[in-house]
Amino acid sequence: MGHTIAEKILGQHADGKPAKAGEIVVAGVDFAMIHDARAGNALKMIEKLGAKSLPHVKRTALVLDHYSPPPNMEAANTHVAMRAFADKHGSPLYDVGDGICHQVLPEGGHLTCGDLVVGTDTHSTTYGAFNAFGTGVEGTDVSAVMMTGKLWFRVPETIRIELKGPLQPGVWAKDVTLTMLGKLGAEGANYRALEYCGSGVSAMAIDDRMTLSNHAAELGAKAALLEADEKTFAWLKAHGAAAPKPVKADADAIYAQRIVIDTATLAPQVARQHNIDDVVAVPDVAGQKIHVALIGTCTNGRLDDIRQAAAILKGKKLAKGVRMIITPASRAIYLAAMREGLFEILTAAGASVEAAGCGTCVNITGHYIAADDQVVISSANRNFKGRLGNPKSEIWIGSAATVAASALTGVVTDARTVAGGDWRAAA
Amino acid sequence: MNIIKGSARIIGDEVSTDIHCSSKYLPGKDATYIATVAFEQVAPGFAKAFNKGDVIVAGKHFGINSSREQAVHVMHRMGVSAIIATSFGRQFYRNAINNGLPVIECDISGIVAGDALEIDLVAGRIAVTAKNITRAVPPLPATVRTLLEAGGLIPFLQKHPDWNVGGEAA
Repeated sequence: MGHTIAEKILGQHADGKPAKAGEIVVAGVDFAMIHDARAGNALKMIEKLGAKSLPHVKRTALVLDHYSPPPNMEAANTHVAMRAFADKHGSPLYDVGDGICHQVLPEGGHLTCGDLVVGTDTHSTTYGAFNAFGTGVEGTDVSAVMMTGKLWFRVPETIRIELKGPLQPGVWAKDVTLTMLGKLGAEGANYRALEYCGSGVSAMAIDDRMTLSNHAAELGAKAALLEADEKTFAWLKAHGAAAPKPVKADADAIYAQRIVIDTATLAPQVARQHNIDDVVAVPDVAGQKIHVALIGTCTNGRLDDIRQAAAILKGKKLAKGVRMIITPASRAIYLAAMREGLFEILTAAGASVEAAGCGTCVNITGHYIAADDQVVISSANRNFKGRLGNPKSEIWIGSAATVAASALTGVVTDARTVAGGDWRAAA
Repeated sequence: MNIIKGSARIIGDEVSTDIHCSSKYLPGKDATYIATVAFEQVAPGFAKAFNKGDVIVAGKHFGINSSREQAVHVMHRMGVSAIIATSFGRQFYRNAINNGLPVIECDISGIVAGDALEIDLVAGRIAVTAKNITRAVPPLPATVRTLLEAGGLIPFLQKHPDWNVGGEAA
């Protein structure tokens, strides 16, 4: 009987043999991450325990991204404690403006194919794009990893999703994840791992693959794993990662469910206000008025997202009455976008650019609050009522292409219908 | 705590412990207060009638969308001895075990309020003897049982810093 990628990676890190879905194993963790929304309590706990040594602390990154820059004194004080902890123990630290945890971990070369990685954030599934088992845990878990290098895991069942055919220009991985949310419902893959495969995945650039794994968190997935290929290896090498140990699923692996999506004909999708699984095709709601356009977050704040937005807005102006904010997912992306002249294009069009961080996603920094009855279109991952600070506003979720096309016209717009919306094909 | 006996207390599907068993939407209220009103909106009177040692019997996705470890501290205060559910929210399942509260995935059909439940964590069995209900569940590995006995992950690691509990392999 064959095994899934999840069974193999967890098993290899436990007793060396593939594990079986449903089993609970104690597995060695290769790398861990704790961010500033969870570090306060965890670091206090570690100090209280007075652990004599923290053998795995150097393989635990501290990331100051949620409260970046800190909007209140509590967060500022947590940041000081995190910096002091990193100085004392030699943990890698990513400071304010360095970027979002799920972007800086891969960019920092902290993970490679076949690794087991945990982070105090549900979107830790992102690392699956690199064929690493990445999953979200709590502060207590990361404390345990720092102390012992190990953690217990329930081995998940897996849903295999085949993407048939490369996406059309103007259609992105976000449109695939939204399609999945429409199909399975929010938390519809609770506790399960996903494996994305097929020619649709092979054709995707790494930026888009990260969206695929990242947004699986809204499906409730424990991990969202892709097989590695030459693109994966080249990206990891360029970022200084350790030698990859790629893991493939067996042909006779047991899956809880198999799903096929015809990605070649897929249209752009949006999730309407308040529910991430209220998903409709963009052409079906084209014309819906929008007021605020946001590009950013660990789901879609990457260089390709910003390139796509700039391609649409080059030499143009935002529609009258629309505000647009771009928040790159990391400092490296920020620098690359500056070098490519993308911020000049976007700023000239009327958009604003903010320092890298999580702010676009949830009302932590307070920079994105919409007025009553206003509609936000965002490239983020969640749209709960009031998530951006005003329960009387609406948040719609789409790809960066959809957000930029909508910012240009002032209404929800299919990027395939505007100049530059086919940027990926032209590149 | 290899065998847990308690009276069944029923709650429905899709219960978010962040919403119904934490101060996320009641800022400034402490665990002592929350323990007296927990689950009120989904099961009126639930906390008030809860007796120490009772077992929560829940439907699908208990603890869905929940990340707050505080929910487990509240349930300890209520005296919850274990939770059996059709399924759990992923992070809640971790938090429960990490904070010393046994959680068992199991078919709950036929179990009603007040049933005398017996949960055998070693053998992997849930039973209501009076009704001839006996259901097999995956037995918890020794590591997790020891972790639960210790009261959670951190106390466990203070005693077993190498995760080695002797005897049965982890």
